[in-house]
Amino acid sequence: MKIGIPRAFYYHSYPRLWECFFQRLGHEPVVSLQSSQKTLEMACAQTETENCLPQKLFDGHLLSLIGSVDAIFVPRILSIVNGHNCCPRFGALPDATRAGIARGVPLISIEINETAAPLSKTLRNLARTLEADRRTANLAVQEAFAAMEEFHREEAHRQQEQCDNRRFLLLGHPYTLHDQFIADPIIQKMKKLEAPLERMTFADNNIKPGDILWCVFNKMYHKLQGLDPHAYAGVIQISTFNCGADSMMVERFQRVCRNKGVPYMLLTMDEHSGKTGVDTRLEVFVESLSWQRVRAAK
Amino acid sequence: MKERLAIPNLGNYTVALAAMVNGMGAEPWWSTYTNDHAMALGIAAAPESVCLPFKAHLGHFIEADDAGVENALMVNSIGACRLNYYRGMLEETLKDMGRKIRIFGLGFDGFKPPVFRYFDPPLIPLLRAVYIGVEKIRAIDTIEMQTACTRAREINTGETSLLMERCLRELSEIHTKKEVRLFRKDLPRRFAAIGIDNKRDPLRIGLVGEVSLLRDRQLNQNLEQILGHRGVEIKNFFLLGGEIGNNFGITMGYKKNTAKQLAVVAKPYLGCEVGGHSRDSVAHTINCAHAGFDAMVHVCPAGCMPEVSIRPILRRVSEDMDIPVLHLSFDEHTCALGMATRVEAFLDILWSRRRRCLGRTKRQGRI
Repeated sequence: MKIGIPRAFYYHSYPRLWECFFQRLGHEPVVSLQSSQKTLEMACAQTETENCLPQKLFDGHLLSLIGSVDAIFVPRILSIVNGHNCCPRFGALPDATRAGIARGVPLISIEINETAAPLSKTLRNLARTLEADRRTANLAVQEAFAAMEEFHREEAHRQQEQCDNRRFLLLGHPYTLHDQFIADPIIQKMKKLEAPLERMTFADNNIKPGDILWCVFNKMYHKLQGLDPHAYAGVIQISTFNCGADSMMVERFQRVCRNKGVPYMLLTMDEHSGKTGVDTRLEVFVESLSWQRVRAAK
Repeated sequence: MKERLAIPNLGNYTVALAAMVNGMGAEPWWSTYTNDHAMALGIAAAPESVCLPFKAHLGHFIEADDAGVENALMVNSIGACRLNYYRGMLEETLKDMGRKIRIFGLGFDGFKPPVFRYFDPPLIPLLRAVYIGVEKIRAIDTIEMQTACTRAREINTGETSLLMERCLRELSEIHTKKEVRLFRKDLPRRFAAIGIDNKRDPLRIGLVGEVSLLRDRQLNQNLEQILGHRGVEIKNFFLLGGEIGNNFGITMGYKKNTAKQLAVVAKPYLGCEVGGHSRDSVAHTINCAHAGFDAMVHVCPAGCMPEVSIRPILRRVSEDMDIPVLHLSFDEHTCALGMATRVEAFLDILWSRRRRCLGRTKRQGRI
């Protein structure tokens, strides 16, 4: 069976996990192509106008998969880390998808709720419903987790290389940081400016529960709390237009950075294609900070 | 002198909340709607992309601080919605502005809510105040339902709204449980005194969506009145009495539509609680379609996380069950006139639908 996986939301939250899992079960996972302006244009004709940008991209990926696959995988994600919850959007995702964009297309759905049951158990159950025997299911789950670990290791290794020099921290959700349409212009530009950039990683699930219940934001908050002002030149936060969670949390992060004396810049990305604005702002941010250092050295 | 406590806006129900706060040993500072001045203050101080109710609450509390109120009370929610973080964010924003007002949450950190720890009310008067508050909530439920019913049929436009205001004012001045109960029993008689046109067969429309928008008439641009004056009998699905009864299992005369029952109704379309009142919105829409309502109006602040995410579902319900749904989203730029135009156009379509016998006027079920 060809199983479509949209390259959005949970694809980035669980990197490489889904492809590996479905492959080991003997199915053919089809991941949609990297998101681009075209993905968005496709989505905009059909999606809810008030949706946030990642949701629109998700709808675009869905549309690109419909017709070429037998079923689409859309899980209901209630919690990724034990004791935390997710954006309310994820709770309604399979239902909204079934009612809206992917009407009439078979959906494969599971409920991921780490607070209630660990992911491995949920995956084994999914494997059983996909008619895999117990042994194959266990193997598939193990290998899928190994693939995800592998990705996290590679990512950590890549970050390690930059650890010596003063770097910028790129903050955002997993699905904005790894999305080509949203984060790529920023990463490319920073490369061109020869400013080292560290992408926020979400591999570590051992976080202290605090008053922030959204797990991604709690991880970001802890990262900012423990930020060393000497190792980081500045923080660049990617926020997406109409993201409800960002609107609450960005203010708080700004406050943390202000107290720490780390420069902070907020980039709100929307569906417009012109990236000149982003370029200009990044240039100004990087350059003004380098001047600051030159002046301090004198 | 008693310390004052500003309480958040919950439309007409603020009257009942004020009674409870009174019994706690604090003097309530409240209004039944956020006024223009408070809105302007809130919009100026809040981050741009948070939702409208936050701006309203912030403006309300800034105004309270200007009036010299020392404390404020803010609700929390359990769930994934942004409302969870309102209190903390209000506190930080107000602190940044150099305001002194203290914000209490209703959450339990330890044995009792911090607001009780601070005011430390004696138990007996507190319980008495809660009883009066609950009784008042029931009275307000009755006022709301009577108003919706009478307003659609009144001969002199505006009479019902005036009576409603008068009733609320009187209710806020009553301080014993017995009087409140008598007041509530007397309400049907008072509303019956308004001249109504019995031949009129008003459209029946259900209002679902986000709480603040359903309840604060400043935020929803007086939607209930606009609909009522155009001959629509509305059914606002946020009745606080019903809500408390349904969620905490206290039967306050409402045995229908408990949270569990609604979950079962919504199940084919929405499998889990998303946050806010989104699951209820779906369930009520399905129920209304079965009961032969003419249409539904779904209101939410622009960018509301749970309510926007269920819009495709409501659209699907609307198609499957043949019930029109109007989605209205509100932000600080929404003007009353534009909203009224949209509502009028919607009503025109509904009337013509009814004339062509497409509307289900035959089925007159009750909810």
